[in-house]
Amino acid sequence: MPDHPLTYDWRAMVRDRLRAAKLHPQDEAELVEEMAQHLEEQFRDLAASVGAEAAHERLAAQLRDQSLDEAVARRRRRAAPSRARAWSSASIWRDVRYGFRSLRRSPGVLAAGTAALALGIGLTTMMFSVVYGTLIKGLPFDDPSRIAYVAYTDPQHGMFDGGAPQGDFQRFAARQRSFVGFGGLYGGTATITGGDRPDRIAIARMTAGVFDVLEVRPMLGRVFVPSDNQPDAAPAAILGYAIWRDRYASDSSVIGRAIRVSGKSYTVIGVMSEKFQFPDLAQIWLPLQLNPSLVPSKGQPLNIVGRLRPGVDYASANAEFRGLMKQLDAERAKPATERPVVLPYVRATLPKRVYTLLYSMLAAVMLVLLVACANVTNLLLDRTLGRSREIGIRTALGASRLSVVRQSLVESAILAALAAIVGTVLAYVGVILFNGAFGESERRFWMDIRLHPAVLMFVVAMAVLATLVSGLLPAIQAARLDVSSILKDESHSASGLRVGRMSRLIVGFELALSSALLVGAGFLTKSIVKLRSVDPRFVTASVFTARLTASPADSLKQRAFFESVERELGTVPGVDASYLGNGLPGSRMSADRFQIEGRTYKGDRDYGRTRTLAVTPGFFATFGVPVLKGRGITADDRQGAPPVAVVNEAFVRENFRGADPIGHRLRLGDSDSKADWVTIVGVIPTLYTVTMDDPFPPAVVTALWQEPRLTTLTLAVRGRADAASAPAIRKLVASLDPEVPVYAASTMTEELDRPTWTLRLFGNLFIVFGIVSLVLATIGLYAVMAFAASRRVRELGIRMALGASSRDVVRLVSRQGARQIILGLTVGIGLGMLFVRAIRAVLFDVRPSDPSVFVLVVGVLATSAFVACIVPALRATRVDPLIALRSE
Amino acid sequence: MLTDELKKGSAEFLILSLLEAEPRHGYELQKLIESRSKGVISFHVASLYPLLYRLEDRGWIVGRWVEKAGERRRRFYRLTASGKDALEAQRDSWREFVAAINRVSGVRYA
Repeated sequence: MPDHPLTYDWRAMVRDRLRAAKLHPQDEAELVEEMAQHLEEQFRDLAASVGAEAAHERLAAQLRDQSLDEAVARRRRRAAPSRARAWSSASIWRDVRYGFRSLRRSPGVLAAGTAALALGIGLTTMMFSVVYGTLIKGLPFDDPSRIAYVAYTDPQHGMFDGGAPQGDFQRFAARQRSFVGFGGLYGGTATITGGDRPDRIAIARMTAGVFDVLEVRPMLGRVFVPSDNQPDAAPAAILGYAIWRDRYASDSSVIGRAIRVSGKSYTVIGVMSEKFQFPDLAQIWLPLQLNPSLVPSKGQPLNIVGRLRPGVDYASANAEFRGLMKQLDAERAKPATERPVVLPYVRATLPKRVYTLLYSMLAAVMLVLLVACANVTNLLLDRTLGRSREIGIRTALGASRLSVVRQSLVESAILAALAAIVGTVLAYVGVILFNGAFGESERRFWMDIRLHPAVLMFVVAMAVLATLVSGLLPAIQAARLDVSSILKDESHSASGLRVGRMSRLIVGFELALSSALLVGAGFLTKSIVKLRSVDPRFVTASVFTARLTASPADSLKQRAFFESVERELGTVPGVDASYLGNGLPGSRMSADRFQIEGRTYKGDRDYGRTRTLAVTPGFFATFGVPVLKGRGITADDRQGAPPVAVVNEAFVRENFRGADPIGHRLRLGDSDSKADWVTIVGVIPTLYTVTMDDPFPPAVVTALWQEPRLTTLTLAVRGRADAASAPAIRKLVASLDPEVPVYAASTMTEELDRPTWTLRLFGNLFIVFGIVSLVLATIGLYAVMAFAASRRVRELGIRMALGASSRDVVRLVSRQGARQIILGLTVGIGLGMLFVRAIRAVLFDVRPSDPSVFVLVVGVLATSAFVACIVPALRATRVDPLIALRSE
Repeated sequence: MLTDELKKGSAEFLILSLLEAEPRHGYELQKLIESRSKGVISFHVASLYPLLYRLEDRGWIVGRWVEKAGERRRRFYRLTASGKDALEAQRDSWREFVAAINRVSGVRYA
């Protein structure tokens, strides 16, 4: 007998031949079986005489013969399942009921699958609520996508949105055609007096056009009209709802009454509704006075908003403004370095890092969802395998491949639907927690984070995604199962191996994603720990602070007022030390350039940079700051005396290389500074300043009473003082000047916590993401390893019967997991590094390459992965070889 | 060499005859016809099965999947009662037909 390959797949050839006939699967299966058998045997006989190739050729030709079609036609016993029938609502409903029944029989799969997907969907939905409410939804006005912001960007100086001078704005307003409404505004704070106590509130000055842009109506009275912006117009004011309610007892006769804002009188012309907020925290709106004589580049910098004319898009608006800017440049002494850029309002007014941060967070939770899906995929693959006999029988009984696929998908859809419900509840709770942690000072007026209808649509989309991602692979596996081999094969070993390989791949993928998330979580945890344990090097406990703005008056009167505040503060009961300054250590220090006498600087950029703070002598006692060298600021450092300053150690290190700085003189500001030269008289420790990148910067502390102008100052008292001190301090200030507001009252600890809320909020979120994905991945790995070990019970039994020790078995089983652990970790760490770069903005004093985090993450993951491997392995060793050998 | 017409007419008869003794499967039928006719009559997959299924549709034969010990599962065809009647009828008419041909052509059995 000549050698010949017996490897022609006659089954496949017959199946190909019959495909066009679209038979019912059972008819097809019978035909294929009968004819393939015939051809196989005939081939064996024929090949022996004429050779394999010739035999194959001859039989293949016979198979192509037209007359076979008659046989096929005669075998069409049943109608092929039609697509329409397979997808009728009745049959889908049957699948759903069947899916429920069969899932109820395996409550483990039901619970684990739902829990995993619910965590994934819940986290993604919560994060999407945040992204939608802050970045996507837009302003709370009609057709918000058409509300544009004209930003003045200066690429040369790396500046975005420096504001457009009023002179430029007025020409734009007269010439532009892109917008139906066009307005300019600027925000500020003002003191409002009258009523029971003075207060400091946010205000905005705006042109009438702003209301055209927003298309809002007042609740009472009217909004601004163009004549309100004329230079000689009577001063008018529009009140916010809260002020109207609190200060005017919701009195509708307030229209026409006079109010005092920062010492000037305005007539109330309107009250806005409760919902109206623009921009940000403004509570009173005053008209912006136009000045036709202003030339381009002159005047107050304004924020410009516009409502796009129907049919005009952002590209053409940008083109128009580039053209207008050229005209304006021709009218200036020298062309401006800024360029106007027209952008949607939210995009233009939120820093880019917020976009990066929020979208990275969304990407991160999508990864968590993928990990959850991967887990469910594994659960379902395992089920598919366990059910392969059932699927085989269903197919043999006439179920089409499509309906087998659908049945699998219906099951993952049931899991996803249940998970969507639980996930929505999780997201609801998450959003409440998120809103609670969201720093009020950073909340922009349009931000409205809750489960909007669009968010619920997102839940549906995520559920569909989860269905497909977690259900498609098992479904395809189910459809690919070979019916006749399953019906014959009792142990399902062949299909088991195939599914096992897929599961291991999925687990490798899960490990990669979780390690990426854990790297992110690790960096943020390290940041938070560092932030919590940082020693500010000044006293924060039992220090209470507030701000004061002097009534408008000449500077001598204001100075006299503050001096009496300084004197009187010490007499408040319970106050051990008191401070006044133009800011606060830690949270509110100014930044400035400076030069040191006797040194040469080529240009402004070469000047030094430092934090600055002007303080009263009480600074050292209130904050417990020691003077390390020389002297501190004393009561003698007043106007008329030589100006002095103390510098911190970082300043000495950077500018004097550690040499003695005392006696040197420096001047704040750059080359055109008119400030006095100040003499360094002392050195203090470097105090903590809340910034992400440089928490211990150089600083220059000057004498408050040597400052030329004082209007708004910060006070601080130390002692048995807490929030309860506020009334005592208010009373004291009111006794000195009843029109001075005491505001922004808080403890020093709150003051230092406030700027870092983003880090704490997002850091905590990330830690949740990381832990959830770690748990999911560990469970996933455990499931796969346990499954693999259980498939090998027989083999392991034989090995142990032949003398393998438990150690050998453990090594054998866990070695299988090692490869995917190593691969997953390697890929994951790489992903994590990319990720950390994206969230650098919220890292506190940790370098993105910090190896300790990576070591820790690898350690944590490797440990949990090892446990997931070793437990099933140990269980495998407890198998009784006799039982194992008998098992099928 | 047998013409296609003749073969077609005789094929049903041959298959019914072969199934009279015992149930057989497709490839066995093909082999038996080829060997007993010394290669004069031969079938292949595409010619045999339309015939088998036609006979089955008519109710003369019936196919059934049978698993014998130590052998693979095969579809065996056996003659039904009406198949037996049909075979007898065909035998009679063949006998008459052959006799008639003999009388006309003078061909004698060897």
